[in-house]
Amino acid sequence: MERLTSVEEFRTLQSRVIAALDPTVPTIVIPAGTCGQASGASDLIRVAKRYLLEKRLTDKVRLRITGCHGFCEMEPSVLIEPQKTFYPRVSMRDVSRIIDAAVEGKVIEELLFVDPTTGERIRKQSDIPFFKKQFRLLMERNERVDPRRILDYIESGGYTALAEVLAERDPEWVVSEVKASGLRGRGGAGFPTGIKWEMLAKQPSDKGKFIVCNADEGDPGAYMDRSILEGNPHSIIEGMIIGAFATGATDGIIYVCCEFPLAIKHIGMALEQAYELGLLGENILGAGFSFNMTMVKGAGAFVCGEETAMIHSIEGYTGEPRQRPPFPIQKGINGKPTAINNVETWANIPIIIRDGAKAYASIGTPNNSGTKIFSLVGKVKHTGLVEMPMGTTIGEIVYNVGGGAVGNSEIKAVQTGGPSGGCIPASSFDLPVDYDTLAKFGSIMGSGGMIVMDEDTCMVDVAKYFMNFLKNESCGKCFTCRKGTQRMYELLEDITLGAGTPESIALLEELAYVVKDTTMCGLGQSASNSVLSSLRHFRNEYEQHVVEGKCPSYVCKDLVGVPCQTACPVGTEIWRYIAQIEHKNYVDAYKTIRESNPFPSVCARVCNHPCEDRCKSGTSGGQPINIRALTRFVTDNVDPGVYKPVIEPQFGDKHPQVAVVGGGPAGLTAAHYLSLKGCKVTIFEQESELGGMLLSVIPEYKLPGEVLKSEIASLLNDNITLKYGTVLGRDITVDGLLKDNFDAVFLSFGAHNSSGLQSDIKDIQGVYPLLDYVKSVNLRGENLAIGKVGIIGGSVSAIDAARTAIRSAKAESVTVFYQGTREDMLAAKDEIDAAIEEGVSIETLVSVEEILSQDGKLAGARIVKSRLGDFDSDGRRRLKPIAGSEQKVDLDTLIITASESPDVECLLSNSHLSIDLNADGTIKVDVGTLAASIPGVFAGGDITGQVSVIDAIAAGKRAAESISCYLQGKVYKPSTGIQLPQVFIEPNRSEEDASGQSARVKLPKIDVSERRGNFKEVEISLTPENALKEAGRCLRCDLDFFKCKECQE
Amino acid sequence: MVNFVLNGLPVSVEKGSTILEAAQFYGFPIPTLCHMEGLSPYGACRLCVVEIGEGPRAKLVTSCTYPVEEGLKVRTASERVIKARRMVIELLLASCPQSKTIQDLASAHGVRQQRFRQEYEDCILCGRCIRMCKEQMMAKAIGFRGRGEGRSIGTPFDMKSEQCRQCGGCIYVCPACQLRCTYTEPEKAVCGGCANLTPPCVEKDSFDDMMCYMNPCVACEIKKDL
Repeated sequence: MERLTSVEEFRTLQSRVIAALDPTVPTIVIPAGTCGQASGASDLIRVAKRYLLEKRLTDKVRLRITGCHGFCEMEPSVLIEPQKTFYPRVSMRDVSRIIDAAVEGKVIEELLFVDPTTGERIRKQSDIPFFKKQFRLLMERNERVDPRRILDYIESGGYTALAEVLAERDPEWVVSEVKASGLRGRGGAGFPTGIKWEMLAKQPSDKGKFIVCNADEGDPGAYMDRSILEGNPHSIIEGMIIGAFATGATDGIIYVCCEFPLAIKHIGMALEQAYELGLLGENILGAGFSFNMTMVKGAGAFVCGEETAMIHSIEGYTGEPRQRPPFPIQKGINGKPTAINNVETWANIPIIIRDGAKAYASIGTPNNSGTKIFSLVGKVKHTGLVEMPMGTTIGEIVYNVGGGAVGNSEIKAVQTGGPSGGCIPASSFDLPVDYDTLAKFGSIMGSGGMIVMDEDTCMVDVAKYFMNFLKNESCGKCFTCRKGTQRMYELLEDITLGAGTPESIALLEELAYVVKDTTMCGLGQSASNSVLSSLRHFRNEYEQHVVEGKCPSYVCKDLVGVPCQTACPVGTEIWRYIAQIEHKNYVDAYKTIRESNPFPSVCARVCNHPCEDRCKSGTSGGQPINIRALTRFVTDNVDPGVYKPVIEPQFGDKHPQVAVVGGGPAGLTAAHYLSLKGCKVTIFEQESELGGMLLSVIPEYKLPGEVLKSEIASLLNDNITLKYGTVLGRDITVDGLLKDNFDAVFLSFGAHNSSGLQSDIKDIQGVYPLLDYVKSVNLRGENLAIGKVGIIGGSVSAIDAARTAIRSAKAESVTVFYQGTREDMLAAKDEIDAAIEEGVSIETLVSVEEILSQDGKLAGARIVKSRLGDFDSDGRRRLKPIAGSEQKVDLDTLIITASESPDVECLLSNSHLSIDLNADGTIKVDVGTLAASIPGVFAGGDITGQVSVIDAIAAGKRAAESISCYLQGKVYKPSTGIQLPQVFIEPNRSEEDASGQSARVKLPKIDVSERRGNFKEVEISLTPENALKEAGRCLRCDLDFFKCKECQE
Repeated sequence: MVNFVLNGLPVSVEKGSTILEAAQFYGFPIPTLCHMEGLSPYGACRLCVVEIGEGPRAKLVTSCTYPVEEGLKVRTASERVIKARRMVIELLLASCPQSKTIQDLASAHGVRQQRFRQEYEDCILCGRCIRMCKEQMMAKAIGFRGRGEGRSIGTPFDMKSEQCRQCGGCIYVCPACQLRCTYTEPEKAVCGGCANLTPPCVEKDSFDDMMCYMNPCVACEIKKDL
């Protein structure tokens, strides 16, 4: 290339290059930044080149290898221009097809991007939600340029801004233009660039001046600068030449950290080409202005991103910050005035000159103009580089661009600014992302890292992670930074290991403030941010760690124990019985279950299995163990008689009297355990049978009456007296019971009141509250579902009701109306599937606007369909009604889910005592002891707030312990902390290889044809082979807590 | 001359002085550890922090490195300063409890306990020895190595330095190892360590038996000052 000696020559070159370009020729664009190469872009390039040569397609199609386009998660990707067709995750096999299609102007549908929520295939890159919402000023240029070819950059309009400045403008104009654009430093501090330039321009120029590009990007999880360095190095160089022209700088330095080999290579090439073309060096483009640029490679210290440390590093000393003042602008490299700007800041300069300061300032918000690239990583659907106008809300970035949470876990917070930044809780996601707002909120924008965290992320663990990074990356000069970060790490480690105390949190906070206050540079001053902001927004998590000894996110191993056991409200040693099943020791397995759960057969059928949600096999990416199926297998194959309840009288010869009001799971459990302790228990039940909700609400096809009855019978003994048909408020009162020789009362009569349904709707013939409907079927055997049946709601009981209704002989059709999507429904997926199998139709995204009646009889309902809109700031997708979708459906029966609440009227009638209630009408109890506001009165189960079956059983167990302590005059201290495994069971080595590979077994079901018109149990027990296979899949998390024999010795 | 306000008192000092020098001149005590007259200010120990500025812009800076500015408002013993200083001393005590200098600092500032995991380190990395070696002895035999947790003082690659003249200047200025001459076991107070002129950082093994031979004893001097 010949050296250009005037602006004219440059312009001729540029127009020649542009003219040589035929825009109709399709171009295959393959992004091959570090991220692309890591996912296999180099292979695609190799295959593509070979195919083009083999098929002699080089004149029909062009190939361009560029830097990262931002959607790193979908790489290696291919973009076809000019249509901008986007093919994600392309394999080598498909390259030839894509090239052929591009030549013919066609699109290969099956390789296109699929929207994960709608399932649609999207052709154009700009229609993909990830790109659609972005404002791609810088990233868009990455697509158009091969970073190794300066002519590509010139062809796409590069160096035009420089030519304009050299030919037509003076330095003052450039400075004022940059000032007017409102551009602020993109490195994080947000100092106005124009003002910095003005200050540098005013410095005496006799000794020379420096401008520096700070490309020492080191935040974990952030790589936006790297993408520009690799993808468009000339934009930085052009920005710096313009900067030198404006400020009178004589030397430029790009300080790159050594971890970016590709960036170093591309910058080296770009500098060489720019020198060759006369864009750098003496007398640039004949404008009488000289500027020299070099690249300095850092040695990989995070602290060298700090400007004074960087200056030391450039000078050849250890990268250590020094006191400011004097500021680098006065005394920088070798004592000469120096201005340091971030990569993104420099890359913005040519755009400002090209578009004009006014246009640039109109992007974003006042005082925070322009765009910013964020590196969106963590627990979001789509990760990558996202360029947004400043002032966009966090929610917009996380939900609408990032696509929201991965899996079922909800997004909890975002860490902005990397280790120096802080976390922002999901409740504040409507905050605009700009320098001032984030700083006010205790975080920083930093260079633009954005790490999304969900419920499975422990904030203490996150703070510990960042502190570990900082304690290694602190330069160590300031004693408080070096030792402070070490000590903060130590305290955080103590907390995550369970050795922390409330004093540790106080000390941590005190130390964090001192470290912030007493350190010299930005690293130390912001080192405490992650601790302080997580303490501010998530102090409860810290407290749970030190007070309760639990890690609520199931991250800190020592505070979790075995996840399944910890997740079980009654603490069943699930890992233990799975291991026992594996050893074919079914009797012991049954005993293990029964030891902690008095209702094994019931739970094997109806438990909502919180254990499976926490199973490591599931949370680590696979499918959780089917624990309920294994429980079912054990309870079906072992005679319950093998377990003999442990009788441990605690009252000597005395037998305190305890009244249990309500014979549901909570009441029965409490009665059972109290009777074993030697209490005389009387159960008052208003129905004529025991079982409570288990009997009245859970349909027979899920839990056969026989199973329930025999399980209940096994819990009764001589110490338990039953009183049926006794209604609280009518036949007995709480104060009456206390007077009547009862030493304690346990209230567990559940929530049987369907409130929340307007009486005028309730009165329509054919409309039933859900609870009334299922009760009439379960208790009185009359199925009220007639003709066309509609059910409103998506809860577990709504699906139960639908499946009950379809079994009615008089039901023609059953339809469930739910306003959200199928994924939003609370009912388990396999139950919804079973309902569909049985003939229930599920209408999602439908809301019932009005219930229509005629002469007091139900006629139908008016429904409106809606579609999913954007995410709102809570991370839920807004529902947008579809205009004109209104329609009337004929119905003969309508079952409505209404909120259920305990009928507390009965407590008050005929009673002199007043018991404290919560705002929602449930009884107020102490969470630890379950004691109500009256001494001797305890309550548990639905009556204290709606709970699942296993939670009710847990409440019953806790009540028994608490009541027993109360009767002995002791203070009940609920056990805090988690149970670590105590029993070592040899793993089954022979099947080790097979595990992990196989899929989760499903509980077999009886054929659909056999289900119609009856209430036969649907699920069937596993075969022994399948049970062994499933048990063999268990990862045996308990083994983590045992040392092997060699270690013990 | 530069005019500024020191603890409410309008004062003026020579241009280019540090806040520490000004405070010392006007008789406001500021504790120091890494600072030493004759060596360049470094700002490592953070003990000499003072509060400058007002309102939300108020901040702590090390007085030994901060040059006085016209109109500056300095508080050498505000609540914020005292709180920070005491935490610095607590951290020092947690790392180097055996240093007489640090014990004396703790007692002078009412620090009665330290709440961290106790460590027994020999060095607080204040860098006095390095500056002594470089600036006064013109040897540059020792320097800082590593960063963060792994930072230490010594010769490059722990090899015996050819620049070192074994002058002992580094030991002379060390604030952490001064207990060696006022040790709780008086019979060990004179150990003949003075005969061994190899600086501890150069030959690590001999460090433990090293006893200080300095006269006057720096620790006692500092104690007198407090």
